[in-house]
Amino acid sequence: MTGHSGTFRRKPGLLAWLVFAPLAIWLLLFVILPTGMLVALSFAEQRGLGTIHFTWTLDNYVRAFQWTWLKVLSVSVWYAFLTTIICMVLGYPVAYYIGRSGPRTREILLALVMIPFWTSFLIRTYAWITILSKEGLLNTVLMSMNIVSEPLTLMYTPFASVLGLVYNFLPFMILPIYSSVERLDGAMIEAAHDLGAGPVRAFSQVIIPLTSPGIAAGALLVFIPSIAMFAITNLMGGGSQPTIGQVIYNQFTAGRNQPFGAALGTLLLMIFILALYLTKRYRKE
Amino acid sequence: MKMKATLIAAAATTLMLVGCGKPAVTTEETPTSESTASPDAAAPETSEPKRLSVFSWSEYIPQSVIDDFATETGIKVSVENYASNEEMLAKLMAGGGAYDIIQPSEYVVEALVKEDALHPIDHAAIPNLKYIGPDFLNMAFDPGNKFSVPFMAGTVGIIVNTDLVKDEIRGYTDVFQEKFKGRIVVLDDAREIVSWAFETLDIPINEFTPENLEKAKPLLQKWLPLVRVYDSDSPKTSLINGDVALGVVWGGEGAKLLEENEKFKWVIPAEGSHLFVDSLAIPKTAKHPKNAELFMNYILRPEVSKRISDEFPYTNPNLAARKLLTPEQLSNPASFPSEEEMKSLQLFKDIGDQASQVDELVTTIKAQ
Repeated sequence: MTGHSGTFRRKPGLLAWLVFAPLAIWLLLFVILPTGMLVALSFAEQRGLGTIHFTWTLDNYVRAFQWTWLKVLSVSVWYAFLTTIICMVLGYPVAYYIGRSGPRTREILLALVMIPFWTSFLIRTYAWITILSKEGLLNTVLMSMNIVSEPLTLMYTPFASVLGLVYNFLPFMILPIYSSVERLDGAMIEAAHDLGAGPVRAFSQVIIPLTSPGIAAGALLVFIPSIAMFAITNLMGGGSQPTIGQVIYNQFTAGRNQPFGAALGTLLLMIFILALYLTKRYRKE
Repeated sequence: MKMKATLIAAAATTLMLVGCGKPAVTTEETPTSESTASPDAAAPETSEPKRLSVFSWSEYIPQSVIDDFATETGIKVSVENYASNEEMLAKLMAGGGAYDIIQPSEYVVEALVKEDALHPIDHAAIPNLKYIGPDFLNMAFDPGNKFSVPFMAGTVGIIVNTDLVKDEIRGYTDVFQEKFKGRIVVLDDAREIVSWAFETLDIPINEFTPENLEKAKPLLQKWLPLVRVYDSDSPKTSLINGDVALGVVWGGEGAKLLEENEKFKWVIPAEGSHLFVDSLAIPKTAKHPKNAELFMNYILRPEVSKRISDEFPYTNPNLAARKLLTPEQLSNPASFPSEEEMKSLQLFKDIGDQASQVDELVTTIKAQ
């Protein structure tokens, strides 16, 4: 239309910019500016009752690379990684089933997946305490059926931490994968079968690659928040294994060292950016 | 939709499950007009706009007490909560909200007074101050009570589930034994934990020098791996659930457990403990200081103070309020330590930026 040969591309007109403006302003005010402030804070010092002095020092970063903090960071990343893998293994079959179901069933199942969001995640996490504790639901049932003679120690363990995380983030894995599965072209799968692929091969070599955008999106949505979701790991894990979220929170409160907390936060941000970058590269391949 | 009804039922059940547990001992009466014994029955008015912004600890001032103040004076009260002094300080220094009432602990009052960040209070507007016992007035952190009135005091002590623990527990050393590994709950407060180590090693509890921290490190390395739960918000949860057998917790939490079940026993550690005194104070940036003084006077009323004690059984510094408590409440050792114990308790002082080192030490040991 414009007379250019090659790809037909419309340059965004004024209307497009106007529509984009609210999002741009929101991003600027609530994402870019605060992140900038956080990074700036990481080069400052806190003195006295809590006043910040911008001395442009690298001390906070030097400190952040000490063993304690790196260990805490690596444990948090490990929990997040475990959570992501478990969510993938549990969530993919569910998403696949929903995606291949008829429209009525699909609606009901999707609603069921989303219903937990109607309650605060904190309350749902507390509910797990009543299930897993020594005198809780699970142990009472197991003891009364004589399956175990002593109550199992489930609460305040790494198992409980990861369980809490998986429970909270599973829908975030199911929904993106579902939307990928829904867009699967049945013809592709048929073609694979026609060409002699058994069900396993069709699944691993055709279906999974085709749904990989959904898997990648789900993985990001689960991995990134669960690194620092200390509300859950603290409640379920008992706090004996410090996580990076808890540690950063401490710096802003009891530790009375906001700039150090900001430095740790900036490092965390770097990890997120790395994760995003790796996911993008994986999708390009 | 049938599904919606089922969901609402499920959600309601879950909420009930979570919220259950013995309900707090609340008083049934809701005094609308105070007893005629109090000369301040009709709350005086101030010339300020009828608003008050309260910034207080969570689980410390019952909502009914605040509502009644609002009804009586016609002042609209907005309440924000915090779970630690440092959180309150951080928000105060950041200058976000202009709070009229804050509820700092003793060492924070000390720090705020040093930085001249508090509004001096007019004792003429707070005649009920006379009800506070002499032990709690004129304390080192605010001589002459120029800036603060005591709200509640308390200690940190040891709570034992005698059904699960048959040994006699006398102090921290008895708590942190190998045989209790994985069955202990402690407060999630680095400064508290290190101060217990200091008390055991006879180091002054306010001197967090690098040398003292090094001295305490081996003991902490022995203690911390034995802990199962770190919880400052509600340590009684894990004790009630049976997930832990004993712990070192706030006096108020201990008192509630003692009220709940006779199997719990309270012990003030032989090595020593500290007394915390939480006060009401007015920041310099407050917009309604006169209303704040009204609020302070209201809280100091014996009947009101009694209601606070009913719900949160800490050590009540208001002697007239103590007369209104039941014998059970007064004999609760976690709420009201004995004379002897009171004498042995120390006070925290402000430690400034040493807090960062303390936090790092505890985090390092936990991370191992």
